[in-house]
Amino acid sequence: MIAQVVLNGFVTGMIIALPAIALTLTYGILKFPNFAIGAMLTVGAYFAYIANAWLHLPLVWAAVLAAVALAITSVGVDRLVFQPLRERTAITLLVASMGVSFVLENVARFVLGNSARSFEVAIARPQRYFELRVNMEQIYTAATALSAMLAIYIILRHTALGRAMRAVSDNPALAAVRGIDRERIARWMWVIAGVLTAIAGVLAGLDRAIDPLLGWNYVVTVFAAAILGGLGNPFGAVLGALTLGVVEETSTLLIPPNYRQVVSFCAIAFLLLARPQGLLGSVRVKR
Amino acid sequence: MTAYLVTILTLVCIAIILGLSLNLQWGLCGMVNFGMAGFFALGAYSAALVALSGAGTLAATVTAATICALASAATALISLRLSDEYLAILTLGFGEVIRLVILSEEWLTGGSLGLPGIPRPFWGLVSEKDYELLFLGLLILVVLGLFIALEILVRSPFGRAIRAVREDDIVVATLGKNVTALRVKAFAVGGAIIGIAGAFHAFYLTYIDPSQFSAIITAYTFMAVIAGGRGSNKGLLLGAAVIMCLIEGSRFLKDVVQVLDATQLAAIRLILIGLGLILFLIYRPQGFAREYSLKGSKLISPRT
Repeated sequence: MIAQVVLNGFVTGMIIALPAIALTLTYGILKFPNFAIGAMLTVGAYFAYIANAWLHLPLVWAAVLAAVALAITSVGVDRLVFQPLRERTAITLLVASMGVSFVLENVARFVLGNSARSFEVAIARPQRYFELRVNMEQIYTAATALSAMLAIYIILRHTALGRAMRAVSDNPALAAVRGIDRERIARWMWVIAGVLTAIAGVLAGLDRAIDPLLGWNYVVTVFAAAILGGLGNPFGAVLGALTLGVVEETSTLLIPPNYRQVVSFCAIAFLLLARPQGLLGSVRVKR
Repeated sequence: MTAYLVTILTLVCIAIILGLSLNLQWGLCGMVNFGMAGFFALGAYSAALVALSGAGTLAATVTAATICALASAATALISLRLSDEYLAILTLGFGEVIRLVILSEEWLTGGSLGLPGIPRPFWGLVSEKDYELLFLGLLILVVLGLFIALEILVRSPFGRAIRAVREDDIVVATLGKNVTALRVKAFAVGGAIIGIAGAFHAFYLTYIDPSQFSAIITAYTFMAVIAGGRGSNKGLLLGAAVIMCLIEGSRFLKDVVQVLDATQLAAIRLILIGLGLILFLIYRPQGFAREYSLKGSKLISPRT
């Protein structure tokens, strides 16, 4: 029973990890928390739904299409909204991101309505390994999320773009002196964020029904994961997401399942009181 | 037609009270509250439960204000060592927690069915037909009272101190002010005002359910404060009135545009609120009116 819950928790954690990485990259490079991350996830799921249900593409290709479409959308939103506000305070940007969140979520609602939808996928029998019941969806989810994380790791550690991104995140002024174009890095960051969030949207859509509030249900947990790992630290975000996934699922043994987000909220509340820089974060406390 | 006007004005008044509280928390003190809807629901449900227990509507309003003030103070305290981004996510999380509790604890809140039959203040004093007008009158008095109190507060030493915290808290701390206490106080007073707004919302509708407290409330309150001009209470009156009239007025759209269904119209309204918010932030960050500030010329007496 416990092992089953922990397994489910890990899979949930992997879905949360992808937008948490996206959030933390945005925070590192543009220094504001992007509250539109939930709406982006919803829109990603809807892009995949349109490709899957209307164009009858297999889900894998639908996911690829959704990733490309959301990457373009993210870069477009940045160009229209965040770029003109670049030099303003983080508070202005986070309020603007809330505005973006409303626009994106309701464009999805306008096109497809409030009704819950699901992908056209064949229903597979769950596999059994010893006492554990494993859905095919869970295997796909884990495999996809792990490959995405591996790709991000390689990009950040072993490419020129990754080095530049880490440099801008560490010290924008110094990076600028070395000739790194922050706008170009920001554009690539949005591409990566869009791809990751779209994949998470597809995985979330496999896990539960696709409706306009799909992403909203993950917002608190995604932020909690990113904060747990220390905002701006992608590896911490993954760790935070897995921890929260397991903790949230385990908590359903003790408290009603609809209080899952409350668990995340309490986790960040206590963490912020005890260790404000996050589990892995470096000390960056303002007051 | 008069009935409709009274309804709109009542909604505008509640929006103004909400706006005044956000203007204190965010406009003056720089503390983002993304949990407006949650605190509003907390106020409405506290007031409704106290009023339903028969303790009277005044006691209900005071309880709502107190509970919201305490909850706000606690939220502000958690984030006291951190930068504003964390307050934003904590308030958002708090709002979600309130929503989940209201939905799940059916024995207390009626769950998704809500709470019906909430008593109203001064009910039975006038005929049922004129009651709406009386309620509006009462609400206008409350708005006026809060407005004057907040205008005095802005000009008081406390008001100057919290505006200084917004601009640069390190300078304020260097001057020997207790930044934490200032922030917690400002957030708590703002919370109390949201509680009052929640109480009047509950009294006005006499029936509350969780669907009334969606994140839309947070969005249009921010919109009202930004449109009115951050920090300006006078601008806020105008901002809240314009936003509320637009939101309510757009309900008539469905008689004109018949291709779109109700969901699509609701979505368009929210898209417009979001777009408005962004456009104001980019093109007119100062809003309609400017915040009160002491003119330099008033400080130096002119030698004539």
